[in-house]
Amino acid sequence: MLEVENLSKRFGGLTAVRDISLSLAEGEILGLIGPNGAGKTTFFNCVAGAMAPSAGRVRIDGRDVTGQKAHKLCRAGIGRTYQIVKPFAGLTVRDNVMVGALNRAESLAEARRFTEEALEITGLAPIGDDLASSLPLPRRKRLEVARALATRPKVLLLDEVMAGLNPSEVDRAIVLIRAIRDSGISVLIIEHLMRVIMAVSDRIVVMHHGDKLAEGKPAEVMADPRVVKAYLGEGFNA
Amino acid sequence: MGRTVDRFAALSLLLLVLPLFAPLFISDSYTLHFIWKILFWAALASAWNLAGGYAGQFSLGHAAFFGIGAYTSVLLYLKLGISPWIGMLVGGALAAGFALLIGALTLRLRGAFFALATIAFAEVLRIAVVNMRDLTGGAEGLSIPFAPGLGNMMFSGRAGSVVLVAALLLAIAVVTLIVERSRLGYALAALKEDEEAAEALGVDTIRVKLISIALSAFVSALGGTAYAFYILLIEPSTVLSIGMSVEMALMAIIGGMGTVLGPAIGALLIVPLSEYLRAEFAGSFQGLYLLVYGAILILMVMFMPNGLMSVVRDPRGTLRRLTLRRRTERGRKGDA
Repeated sequence: MLEVENLSKRFGGLTAVRDISLSLAEGEILGLIGPNGAGKTTFFNCVAGAMAPSAGRVRIDGRDVTGQKAHKLCRAGIGRTYQIVKPFAGLTVRDNVMVGALNRAESLAEARRFTEEALEITGLAPIGDDLASSLPLPRRKRLEVARALATRPKVLLLDEVMAGLNPSEVDRAIVLIRAIRDSGISVLIIEHLMRVIMAVSDRIVVMHHGDKLAEGKPAEVMADPRVVKAYLGEGFNA
Repeated sequence: MGRTVDRFAALSLLLLVLPLFAPLFISDSYTLHFIWKILFWAALASAWNLAGGYAGQFSLGHAAFFGIGAYTSVLLYLKLGISPWIGMLVGGALAAGFALLIGALTLRLRGAFFALATIAFAEVLRIAVVNMRDLTGGAEGLSIPFAPGLGNMMFSGRAGSVVLVAALLLAIAVVTLIVERSRLGYALAALKEDEEAAEALGVDTIRVKLISIALSAFVSALGGTAYAFYILLIEPSTVLSIGMSVEMALMAIIGGMGTVLGPAIGALLIVPLSEYLRAEFAGSFQGLYLLVYGAILILMVMFMPNGLMSVVRDPRGTLRRLTLRRRTERGRKGDA
């Protein structure tokens, strides 16, 4: 579904992402973790077209989309959320989602249907007419997901959509992510909450200082001494 | 978008249809001229609103589009005898082309920098028109011999011209309503709020920006033709002036950017005010109206950033915001 090959991103002398390759199968959930500053969000930005990669290839469904603009990538099937949420504050929740829904809808009527579906799945339907500016952070995060879902992506990139949620909200979010996967969408998720990553991921990729440190099943990766060292520093033994 | 909004849109249109019938009830020449002025500015502010209000493209160079409309139709009429009805469409097309050029060159500029760039383009055009004396009549401008007739867009009474600008205003409002409800409307609203997020949701922001400014330029140019064939004199120091651009923006801001009725409300307030100030203080305090404009603008931006329309749409909310603001300010002083 999504293939990333040797992707690098340099800012002047700083290499934020170095030679990362990964692939995502249809209906798979891949967790992307790493300490702060590991380059996870930069990696997302390169894949979703918010910035052009310095080197490497991004393919979706076998089609090379490297370096294309964000709106083209969205049309190609990449949906994304922002870690720092970007709601259209002056619009209602419903109209926020409508903007995304128009990405693939042939008509306004169809877009309205996509919108209601996305609001339903994310549980935002009851507050559809509220202004986005009136929402507290957890709901803004959910709005990010609803908008991205409404674009009808093949691959959904979720960037820390659970930060700031309380435990019961996290449980609901986990259910939501599984439901998204079950609807046939592949999910690439950045998350600091280990409980979430362990619960939803089929595989995990660990980034550290821009490099890919480890990749594998959640339990394997967590047992990897290099990963433990990256998170906890020298002197700890798993 | 919502059902209440649709009812509001119907009401707006109804209000904007009324001026078409003004000449049936009013025959006094001065009053008709006054009404013409209000309608004219309402139309221009509405034209500006399509790019400045809906897309957040804060242009202060719209006089360029207005001027292109005026000069194109006048030149076609004077030199080739082409009817202004055709000339206005040619002028509109040229203005839209010029807008695409400006738009393409200023795509990366945001906020104040975009505004400054548009001023520069409009000034370049004004200076060019002043210097192309053979074609444009230079600084003295071009005057149109009065030859009444529907085909010439000139009317022996003022009623014809009033109906014409009323129709133009209505047409722009209809275009605005259609845009608001279309795919483009959602894209514009998204673009205005957050460009990056709009891109990520599949909005081609560059294309949307260009469409909005070209559309806005086209209808501004129609206003230019209507002006030229009513006033019968166009000169660069008025039709291509910064003042022209600023007033278009000002009325839309005061009335309420990004709303159908806002610019018309702005014109309804500002035109009588400026007429009064200019007449009252013509001798002693020339230019006082500019000071008053400035003061109104500052007050509006501080207390009613969404314009007078916010009061019409949500009176209680506005009141709450005003009082809340005062309370928090008092609170802050108390803390200090």
